[in-house]
Amino acid sequence: MRQPFGQPSRRSVLAGLGAFGVAASAMPRMAISQDGRVLRVRSYSDLQVLDPAFWVSLPEADIITAIYPPLVAPMPGDVWSWKTVAAKSIEQIDDLTVAFELLDGITFSGGHGKMTAEDVKFSIERIADPDNESPYAGDWSALDQVEVTGELTGLIRLKTPFVPLWTTTLPTPASCIVSKAAFEAAGGQVTTDPVAMSGHYLLTEWVPKQRTVLTRNPDWPGEPGGFEEIHIIPIEDPATAELGFEAGDLDYTWTAVSSLPRLKEDPPAGSVVLEKPSLAYVWLGMNEAVAPFDNPNIRRAVQHAIDRQLVVDAAYYGAAELGNGLVAPGLPGSRDGVTYDYDPDRARELLEQEGATGITVTLDILNQSERLLAAQVIQANLADVGINAEIKQNDSGTFWSLGASDSPDYDTMQMYLQRFSMQPDPSWATVWFTPEQIGVWNWSRFDNARFKELHDMGLVEADETKRDAIYREMQDLMDESGSFVFFTHEVVGVVHSEDIAPGLKPNGEPLLTEFKSA
Amino acid sequence: MSEAVSDPQAAKPPSDAWRAVRRLLREPLGVLGLTLVLLMVGGAIFADLLTSWDPTRINPRDRFLGPGAEHLLGTDQLGRDLFARVLHGGRVALSVALIATGISLVIGIMLGLIAGYGPRWLDNLMILLFDSVKSFPTVMLALALVTLFGPSLTSVVIVVVLVTVPGYARIIRTQTIALKNSEYVTAARSMGASPARILRVHILPNVIGPLVILASMDIPVVIGIEAGMSFLGLGVRPPTPSWGSILNDGFTSIRDTPWIAVAGGIPIILVTLGFTFLGETLRDVFDPRLKAR
Repeated sequence: MRQPFGQPSRRSVLAGLGAFGVAASAMPRMAISQDGRVLRVRSYSDLQVLDPAFWVSLPEADIITAIYPPLVAPMPGDVWSWKTVAAKSIEQIDDLTVAFELLDGITFSGGHGKMTAEDVKFSIERIADPDNESPYAGDWSALDQVEVTGELTGLIRLKTPFVPLWTTTLPTPASCIVSKAAFEAAGGQVTTDPVAMSGHYLLTEWVPKQRTVLTRNPDWPGEPGGFEEIHIIPIEDPATAELGFEAGDLDYTWTAVSSLPRLKEDPPAGSVVLEKPSLAYVWLGMNEAVAPFDNPNIRRAVQHAIDRQLVVDAAYYGAAELGNGLVAPGLPGSRDGVTYDYDPDRARELLEQEGATGITVTLDILNQSERLLAAQVIQANLADVGINAEIKQNDSGTFWSLGASDSPDYDTMQMYLQRFSMQPDPSWATVWFTPEQIGVWNWSRFDNARFKELHDMGLVEADETKRDAIYREMQDLMDESGSFVFFTHEVVGVVHSEDIAPGLKPNGEPLLTEFKSA
Repeated sequence: MSEAVSDPQAAKPPSDAWRAVRRLLREPLGVLGLTLVLLMVGGAIFADLLTSWDPTRINPRDRFLGPGAEHLLGTDQLGRDLFARVLHGGRVALSVALIATGISLVIGIMLGLIAGYGPRWLDNLMILLFDSVKSFPTVMLALALVTLFGPSLTSVVIVVVLVTVPGYARIIRTQTIALKNSEYVTAARSMGASPARILRVHILPNVIGPLVILASMDIPVVIGIEAGMSFLGLGVRPPTPSWGSILNDGFTSIRDTPWIAVAGGIPIILVTLGFTFLGETLRDVFDPRLKAR
């Protein structure tokens, strides 16, 4: 019997869905950005904190620098350099003094008035103030004070020379300017509800786990942002993001490193595939404060048990090179090797000596395909010497707070597989492993006074050869602790629509304010 | 021949079970379902005999091999044998399905009997409880439990039990209410039978049959939940093979090779079809009135 019109049968529904699928597949790849209005980019995590003093992950830093203009920002291109943003001019007068003048006419949203040098003083000093416990206080560790000399002018005064000032402090969220009045009214800091924005873009919508919308700021006095809106879509897994790009849902995304060989060989229609040298570092960490890794010999056993080359080859399909520490090639302190070798027999010997054969440990990872592949090879290597590693996959919200002192996992986390992004100065890597960072980003609770001493020396040492020696020694100390197994610096894979011209740092990280229509 | 005719055993009419089996075997879909179920269950039980490959042994140099004589279904992104992983993944899927469904049945029957036979206020309270649990979306419930207990086989079983118990309990409750005022139950009550005896001896045997058939038809749903949770990284922990995690591997490597997704997807399809065909045929055999529905 025929179904009456309006009461679809299962068969008619299936036929309808089939017809829809055929029609959809016949349509060309749609890109909203083709009209030059909306840019859709992928970020690998959702928002948690949009405060220049307390941001958590790189995608937040991208947004922060778009809504709170920094004094200077990295120049897009293949060479590390910087350009002014909120500053009309900025120069180093001597080793201890930087003079700046703000761009006239920058106004804060929400009726919070004009940006002045007082706001610069507030923004920088709140990061440096130890009482505020900003994880980025190290960026301004040499700061003495910011002296206001006029409505738009001031002097950044340092206590000591600070070599990374122009590479990893000023061109980062550490120089983003917020409204003193608005932040004080908001209780001193913000999370996902930013106040008094003033950059190229304003954050106008945030739907958790779905999208963040930035809208071009009509009051920005400089060159306007390239798009009316930027939609930032959080997609944790790069393989999913690649499928989203190919489906036409994204105009730009990072790719999985392991996808690069295939994408370069056969790029999606209408797209451009780029490979950039990465400064990031990936490592396996062990928590020195939690058994069994409170025993240095067991940590060393793990170092000897892991075939680092196999892990890198398996996780990245040969697209990434083996790395030997925190510091990527080309920067002072880059090493040619680590101080331990792959020696499963030695690992078994150490475990037997410590009576630790057959132990079970937990390995926390971000729920992401490359991490899972690497973790499974590590797991197999450890099983080979008699350690049973249970892999625990975490979503980004849980994972990125695992090692924080207020996390419920703080006193139980044993091993973790981690990747940190990096700025072009070795101090920006070593700072996270200083004793002050225990309970923040120093998840291994690596506590070494000599390491801290060397870190401080590196900040003021201008001689490149001496800096190189300092950072090499620091990484040797990390090796000796047994708490770290370094894998790779990866490479950065980017795929973007031909209709856009992405603004990228030399390491492929996005500069949202620099994206334009092609 | 004459001996056979005179044998009283031979003259005995076939049992109900035998008649049911014969009717099942007369239904083509039933035979197909039974065959698929036996194949998948047999593959899981005899996995170690059917392949010599260790499902967790990695060999990255052999990644993404296509199907061949050495690796019947090819290899995954870590060079692990997919046939071995599919067979051992079947153990996870079927053991979760059987354990979780069994626990759900026991709890559902007990709660349903109590709700149906107990006082009105208790019935109302339990219905409220069933509906509250049922109102949670499965994925949200799974995420919440995994956050509490961490991803594991136990978490999967807990999710399945929580998701399926209210349905079973409601069915038992409805049938218990229908039977509790029937003449034979009233007679038993007037003869002094305790509520526990009435529930156990007079009501339970009359309500359990349809539920068991319903549970067999729910097994694909349970397998789907396990595969879905493992696909999302909320189920069994690596390197234990699961059809869901194989499917996830296939999803992330779909542009490199289709074989991993095929290897993870086919068993889910086959076992779903098998249990559905078998369950529907069993339902028709035991309760022909439902066939027309």
